Amino acid sequence: MSMNEADVQNALKNLIDPNTKKDFVSGKSVKNIKVSGNEVTLDILLGYPAKSVWAEIQTLVEGHLKATLSGVGSVKASVSSKVVPHAVQRGVKLVDGVKNIIAIASGKGGVGKSTTAVNLALALAAEGARVGVMDADIYGPSQPTMLGISGQPDSDDGKTMKPMTNHGLQVMSIGFLVDADTPMIWRGPMATQALDQLLRQTKWDNLDYLIVDLPPGTGDIQLSLAQTVPVTGSVIVTTPQDIALLDARKGLMMFEKVDVKIIGIVENMSTHICSNCGHEEHIFGAGGGEKMCAEYNVEFLGGLPLDIRIREQSDAGTPTVVAEPDSNLTKVYKQIARRVAVKIADMAQDHSAVFPKIVVKNT
Amino acid sequence: MAHQPTGITLHQESRLLEISFADDGAFSLPYEYLRVHSPSAEVKGHFPGEEILQVGKMNVGIKDVAPSGSYALQITFDDGHDSGIFTWEYLHELGSRQSEIWNAYLEKMAAAGESREPKR
Repeated sequence: MSMNEADVQNALKNLIDPNTKKDFVSGKSVKNIKVSGNEVTLDILLGYPAKSVWAEIQTLVEGHLKATLSGVGSVKASVSSKVVPHAVQRGVKLVDGVKNIIAIASGKGGVGKSTTAVNLALALAAEGARVGVMDADIYGPSQPTMLGISGQPDSDDGKTMKPMTNHGLQVMSIGFLVDADTPMIWRGPMATQALDQLLRQTKWDNLDYLIVDLPPGTGDIQLSLAQTVPVTGSVIVTTPQDIALLDARKGLMMFEKVDVKIIGIVENMSTHICSNCGHEEHIFGAGGGEKMCAEYNVEFLGGLPLDIRIREQSDAGTPTVVAEPDSNLTKVYKQIARRVAVKIADMAQDHSAVFPKIVVKNT
Repeated sequence: MAHQPTGITLHQESRLLEISFADDGAFSLPYEYLRVHSPSAEVKGHFPGEEILQVGKMNVGIKDVAPSGSYALQITFDDGHDSGIFTWEYLHELGSRQSEIWNAYLEKMAAAGESREPKR
């Protein structure tokens, strides 16, 4: 019996991608099937960056085809990733050189937004994506320190700035433009204008993802981001204790009110691991983040322990994902990053909430 | 995301904004009705009780509409008023309770001895 492309397609309809939980065919990942005699070659194009699992998926697909197609000889699947730009609302100006914008937010300060943002960015980059970080915390920029970058950005044309780079990320922060000791004593309109300039006057170079590290709260910066920037989705960071969850709820509700999609919630400082004895303790309470996710029907992306290494490495300018690429902590960050990327790839195919067309008639 | 509009049409001659929603219904909202119920603080005030009755807007036109994020519409009227951001939720409410809201407005205006006619 001879095989054809349809047989291969059909066989793959029954194989579920462990990351997207969808089969490869409806996930539109299968490309370029070629059958010659009893040899099959095909491409698997994932919508999310996943360098570390390419080999795993290759084995999965090849094994599945070998097991289900009778009379098959050799099977060769080449796996790669391509991040697609998310459809944005009509009328909002796109940001040049950026495919997707992910806002990292929290209601409360001090829950580890910036640390989470930078490690997520590095995790996405480690999976092969082109990633940028924009520090939208005008009053308290922390990305320059966390990424170990100092100095001022260059400009080729006197109008746009080139992003600073380190650890493979493109970075822009108000911290590069002013002295570390200089406070930004600004009212709202100045801060929002600065945000817009940082975003649009930076020459982002072909980014798959731009991670925006937001300041805490639900004020000027957050609102102006929601109104004028084509945000793909937002990630809420919280700690498990009630006082932080209370504010995280407000952050979540704000995004809901302005129709910015919520990708999910990251629980930071879930447990404390004693650096002396290794004892793990829920010092801020257990299960707060998960409870909130269930309550608002959003995805729980993952939880990170309160580990002294995360703090030390961030303060030293080499965040955990690059300082200890093989550690358990990095594994968690990568897992969260993959969940975010998969969700965004899903959203790119969903056009149900695009901005309606506005028609003007002389009637 | 309760109400998601699917189409918006501005009829400049008859001064009607037509909006249809994915889930329930389509509404035809007069520009005057939108103008006098603008959600702006210039109209609603900053707190309940601070509302400022809008009068004489019978012939008001719309100069421009711009999206605000993906959740609302910013309408620029030809009398210069542009600070109202109409969310889908609010537009849906204005549509579904149109006669009730409009009659309440007319009553308030009568009580204040004002008119829809533009002032000279």
